[in-house]
Amino acid sequence: MHGVLGANGAGKSTLFNVLGGLLRPDAGRVEVDGQPVTLASPRDAWRHGIGLVHQHFTLVPRLTVLENLALGTRGVAGRPAAVRRATRELMERTGLSVPLDEAVEGLGVGDRQRVEILKALQRDPRILVLDEPTAVLTPGEASGLFDLLRDLAADGRAVALVAHKIDEVLQASRRLTVLRDGATVLHCLREETTEAEIVRAMVGDDAVDAAALGLGRRVERESAGGSAASDRPAGSDRSASRDDGGPRHGPQPADGPSVVASLAAVRVDGRGGPGLDGVDLTVHAGEIVGVAGVDGNGQRELAAVLAGRRAPDGGTVHLCQAVGFISQDRSREGLVGDFDLTENVALAFHRRPEFQKGSWLRWDRLEEEAEAIRGRHDVQAPSVRTLARNLSGGNQQRVIVGRELAMAGELLVAENPTRGLDIAAAAFVHDELERLAAGGVAVVLISTDLDEVLALSHRVVAIARGRLQEVPGDRRSRKGVGSLMLGAETTHD
Amino acid sequence: MTEAPSQAVGRMRVAESVALAVAALVLTAGIGALLLLVGGYDPGAAAAAMVRGAFGSWTAFTSITLVRSVPLILTGLAVAFAFRAGVWNIGAEGQLYAGALAAVWVGLQGAALPAVLLVPLVLIASWVAGAFWALVPTLMRLRLGVGEVITTILMNFVGIYLAAYMVHGPLQERRGVFPQTDAIPEAGRLPALLPGTSLHWGFALSVVLAAALAVVLRYSRFGFRLRAVGASTEAASVAGRIDVRRVLLVAFLGSGAIAGMAGGVQISGVTFALYEDLSPGWGYTAIAVALLAGLNPVGVIVTGILFGALQAGAGAMQRDAGIPAAWVGVVEALVILAVLVIDRVRRRVSEEHS
Repeated sequence: MHGVLGANGAGKSTLFNVLGGLLRPDAGRVEVDGQPVTLASPRDAWRHGIGLVHQHFTLVPRLTVLENLALGTRGVAGRPAAVRRATRELMERTGLSVPLDEAVEGLGVGDRQRVEILKALQRDPRILVLDEPTAVLTPGEASGLFDLLRDLAADGRAVALVAHKIDEVLQASRRLTVLRDGATVLHCLREETTEAEIVRAMVGDDAVDAAALGLGRRVERESAGGSAASDRPAGSDRSASRDDGGPRHGPQPADGPSVVASLAAVRVDGRGGPGLDGVDLTVHAGEIVGVAGVDGNGQRELAAVLAGRRAPDGGTVHLCQAVGFISQDRSREGLVGDFDLTENVALAFHRRPEFQKGSWLRWDRLEEEAEAIRGRHDVQAPSVRTLARNLSGGNQQRVIVGRELAMAGELLVAENPTRGLDIAAAAFVHDELERLAAGGVAVVLISTDLDEVLALSHRVVAIARGRLQEVPGDRRSRKGVGSLMLGAETTHD
Repeated sequence: MTEAPSQAVGRMRVAESVALAVAALVLTAGIGALLLLVGGYDPGAAAAAMVRGAFGSWTAFTSITLVRSVPLILTGLAVAFAFRAGVWNIGAEGQLYAGALAAVWVGLQGAALPAVLLVPLVLIASWVAGAFWALVPTLMRLRLGVGEVITTILMNFVGIYLAAYMVHGPLQERRGVFPQTDAIPEAGRLPALLPGTSLHWGFALSVVLAAALAVVLRYSRFGFRLRAVGASTEAASVAGRIDVRRVLLVAFLGSGAIAGMAGGVQISGVTFALYEDLSPGWGYTAIAVALLAGLNPVGVIVTGILFGALQAGAGAMQRDAGIPAAWVGVVEALVILAVLVIDRVRRRVSEEHS
């Protein structure tokens, strides 16, 4: 039994999708039983005895459990009685029990997960690969699943398992692999390592970071940023203070910075996630507050509340008026692909009175504003009449950032603003956020990229399961924040 | 539905839009001619008869082609307006009947009123009724999340049969002979636009409405919000902070009102009475009219006249070339298919180039 660990975006799902035949590697090879194999499709993977249980369900909601199971079989598919008999046997052998004649859409996530596992097991794979199988299970169900997996492994099958809950993987696995930024950083037997070492490997501390990555991401970013990076005023003392590991403070006026947003005991009922559970947060003018956490711990809800898009289900929120919001989903929520640059700028600006004249919009001014944003942020587009969908991802983000910076009179909420961007584009975004904060605007940077949060933020809070926890200055390291955001208890060094 | 109707035809420049329409028409003509050949007819003779019927004389052009284009332009505008907002209103036919019914009723009730009052009242009644007919699908979509494609289609049948019931029952003419209503009084009728022809002021109203819609969609705050919602509800609501439901409500009801007006104008300008089969399916042809125009209101004037000519020519074609008028229905369907196919190919090619 082999446990694969890694923080969000470390490459766990990518690795497993390669094994499942869903992704083809750009380089390197996959070997099964020492033989190199080509896994071009899920069918190939099956032929080599690899069964993949997906993180996201791949069941047909309208069909019954039995019909879903029949979909995965060959030969007996036309004979429901045979599938039923085989499934009964399998359920008995594994102890996984699900109602066979219920429609999948009527089942809870735990039952769906069991169906998903049964589906993989019914073909009797030699190698069972599970991507976050316990994410939706209760602790009791999870421990039952681990018992089953151990039995399967004892039967001579190989079981590979991804999870970001460390303790689970630790208690179940004999062999461990830790991934970070798409590379293996640790590979060993369970008894050869400690939990502390694994946490360090997952989030990487500064020493490990420099050694493992050679050129750290930030170093590349500085050089890629070129002159823009070097004439940034705060650039040098920022990296110096990071090396001290000490806390940094934003520009604070003598009379104390004014509060632009405050959340008190805010509760948001999440749909399929933890939502927010008693969140307190105060944001001051001119500071960058970094919110670090693994995806799906309430970040979307927090962003929605801070951007004024969602009223909380409990608690109180005080917000300033001029809020900019950079959504992580830029192609869907940030831009209209079929709109040109002017119209995309108008999307936010059309609300402001100076761009209106009665019921009409001042398109001349909107076009000037679009031109200004295009020039200021170096958007590579032939003209402001270019449709957004004809721009590259980095240039789309420049438009959004430019627009939202201009809208953010007092507060900017940025949600994974550099996800999917190349180094130069990410550096551009980082510079803009810092410049904005230097100008007295508050920035809330919600990101799963710990490097980004640590590099930019004056203040860091960790988010885990819908709760926020302020990270004190002496714990501002990848390890300190990382263990808080992973929910691990071993936070004291 | 896999995509919003506003994306059924992608964003285009006017020139692209025209090129697309021309290409679609050429393709349609080619396939249509082929079908005629297979059926044993002479496509050349068919085309000649059609052109003669639609454009052969000043009278044919104004009194037949343009008169028939009026309900097509109005329902086409209704469809284009809804589609631009991402609303699949397939219910223009039912909304048209609702508008016609209300127009006749108000026209008959207000017999004592002068024309300056009665004509506007008749038209307003048709707006209100059309919007009301769209209200049920609207509420089902906004309150319950029921897709409007099915509900608007079903409301068509209710509208068509309600009109049929009314002309057989409560609103049947006093003579009680034909299944139709009495004619509305002179004061409720739209005056002639061109003396000596049957072209009425409804044509001018349609053109003005098209121009107004084009300007509103392009330049006004509401028009911008409507286009944003139609192009991407997520971006409209997140980046634009637009109240999407409010925009959808206005789009639904506005579309219904315009389609209802098509019925009112037809009553007030052409038939003066309501009868069964008032519309030969204008509300459905409207989809072809709107798509061929690239959902552009000004383009709808052109495509509306084109389809008016097609229907005007169909009669002549049946008479002179012996080709069933139903063939025009096939052509209308071919136009929709051709527009969608060509647009999809065009977008694929442009994606490969970028």
